Amino acid sequence: MPVQFAAKRLSKELQKISNSLPPGIMLVSAEDLEEWLLDIKVLDSNPLYLNETYRLKFRFSSTYPIEPPEVVFVKLPDRPIPIHPHIYSNGIICLDLLGAQGWSPVQNVESIAMSLQSMLTGNSKNERPQGDEEFVRGNRLRPRDIEFYYHDNDV
Amino acid sequence: MPPPNTPEVGVAAPTAATQPQDIHLPQQASPHASSTMANASQGESPILEIDYQSIEYLDPVDDTLMCPVCKTPFHSPITTPCGHTFCAECINRALESQSTCPIDRIPINKDRDYARLPLIIKDQLDRLRVRCPNKGCDHECPRENLEGHYDRRCEFTPVRCPDPGCAKLTARRDATADKGCLHVDIACEFCDKIVVFTELDAHYDADCEGAMTQCPDCETTLPRHRLEKHRTKDCPDLHIQCRWQMAGCKLAGKRRNVEEHMSSGCSFEAVGHLMEQHEQDRKTIRDLNSRLSSLEFSRNRRRERRDRRNNNNTTTPNLDGTPPSPDTAAWDSQEDYMLAQFERLEAQMADLRKQTQELNAHLSTSLVMHTSHVSDQLANLASQVGVLHMHTSWLMGVQRQQQMQTQARTGGSSATGSSGGEEAAARPGPAAPASTEGGLRHQGVVRRGSDGGRENRTRL
Repeated sequence: MPVQFAAKRLSKELQKISNSLPPGIMLVSAEDLEEWLLDIKVLDSNPLYLNETYRLKFRFSSTYPIEPPEVVFVKLPDRPIPIHPHIYSNGIICLDLLGAQGWSPVQNVESIAMSLQSMLTGNSKNERPQGDEEFVRGNRLRPRDIEFYYHDNDV
Repeated sequence: MPPPNTPEVGVAAPTAATQPQDIHLPQQASPHASSTMANASQGESPILEIDYQSIEYLDPVDDTLMCPVCKTPFHSPITTPCGHTFCAECINRALESQSTCPIDRIPINKDRDYARLPLIIKDQLDRLRVRCPNKGCDHECPRENLEGHYDRRCEFTPVRCPDPGCAKLTARRDATADKGCLHVDIACEFCDKIVVFTELDAHYDADCEGAMTQCPDCETTLPRHRLEKHRTKDCPDLHIQCRWQMAGCKLAGKRRNVEEHMSSGCSFEAVGHLMEQHEQDRKTIRDLNSRLSSLEFSRNRRRERRDRRNNNNTTTPNLDGTPPSPDTAAWDSQEDYMLAQFERLEAQMADLRKQTQELNAHLSTSLVMHTSHVSDQLANLASQVGVLHMHTSWLMGVQRQQQMQTQARTGGSSATGSSGGEEAAARPGPAAPASTEGGLRHQGVVRRGSDGGRENRTRL
């Protein structure tokens, strides 16, 4: 499989999102076709996320878009990790869309950012996932190698 | 070429049947290409396939024609059983990791048949205007013509270096035997860098420092090798004449002035258009004239040949297949001889065709004649079988009736038995006469059965 497949698709996407992005999603940097940073905001008045901006880091492998990119929240002084029962405090996101099973090559960076936006919008629980501390302390795996168990379908 | 619905490896693109195969198998293209090309070097088949994901589309493409996986207009698309369309390459890749449709996740079997793509989509894709992907080539064409241009005509298509010992690629226009291998290092004539000859153009464009020059007219600084193009096309201060010079416009001057003059409407423009049209028409007439004269010439030659043959060969063309000797004086050239042979063979063909037709007609009439007899007999038999069927069913009815009556009689006679108390009550007096009659009939049937069918029929 030629490596350029991912590069071509990503440059197409980059061209598109540098021109226009849905409200609440901003492209921060995309210096190469391996790692992009985006900011997302929750647009409605959900008190958990009001007036906050979150930083997302996308990492693409050469198998993108056949395989999902690695997407995590990044913690910076002005960019916290959003509180959510599916988001660990180290920024790792438990979302089936980002796993090998839930992923589909028709998804793209924009659709992922929008899914995360709506995942935050729809949340009302001010809590971290079960076993967060232990996971954050013990985990040395990269997000794509973690076997998530998608136990909860209503959040 | 396999039928469109039998994928060989993974999913075969159904439209491959309508597309030239050589883009996928470049080596197959070579005999075809070299036969169509007088120049052997131009027939050199390309090594690289067109990268459809990178070609430039001249107009914006409708979103419905974009593959959802690679986000470019479909290339050899296929439609899944659930009705979604993807490039063959994209869906094959997606199925490698997950055997479901990327859009609705309906399971897809790789070896199953795929719906043929509606031709209307293929037409729409074929019509998209694209630019040739080769660097240096400005050719624009509908997408369906791109492969022909790329494979056979484009001067910039990378082909194998003419030196068999060199594994590199070179543009088709440079791949001639007399130029030899161009992958040699040379010193740039404008700066001191050493570059590979084929990359000289790129070097001038990108990093050559000494290659700049000034246009003598407009004093713009530009790469030296661009100067000629600049002067013929762009330089605003070059002294040129109005385009409608031949129509009588006397204006001449710097390009920018002349261009302004033309865009504001040269008064000779209308005449100029007419003259152009006229010139075109005259050219067409000349072409037609030359074609006509060549046609007449060949017709005359043919007629002469025929006359001569008729004089020489008064008998009808021999159908036994022995050609006349080629070195007879009647044929003044081998070409004529071959043509004559050809005509003779054509006549034979026509004769044979006529004979075949006659034979066919004969065969079909005889077949009809024979089979009509047989079918008459068949109809006869069928009617007899029908009669027999009626007889049999009548006889069976009779027999059934008799059996019932026999049962009734035995029931009546055993009425005094240990178990027949109620039966006796159920069958009152008339049972006896009925049973006697039944008994008679029964005997009759038995007798008839042993006597055979003849008496049977007479009794009916």
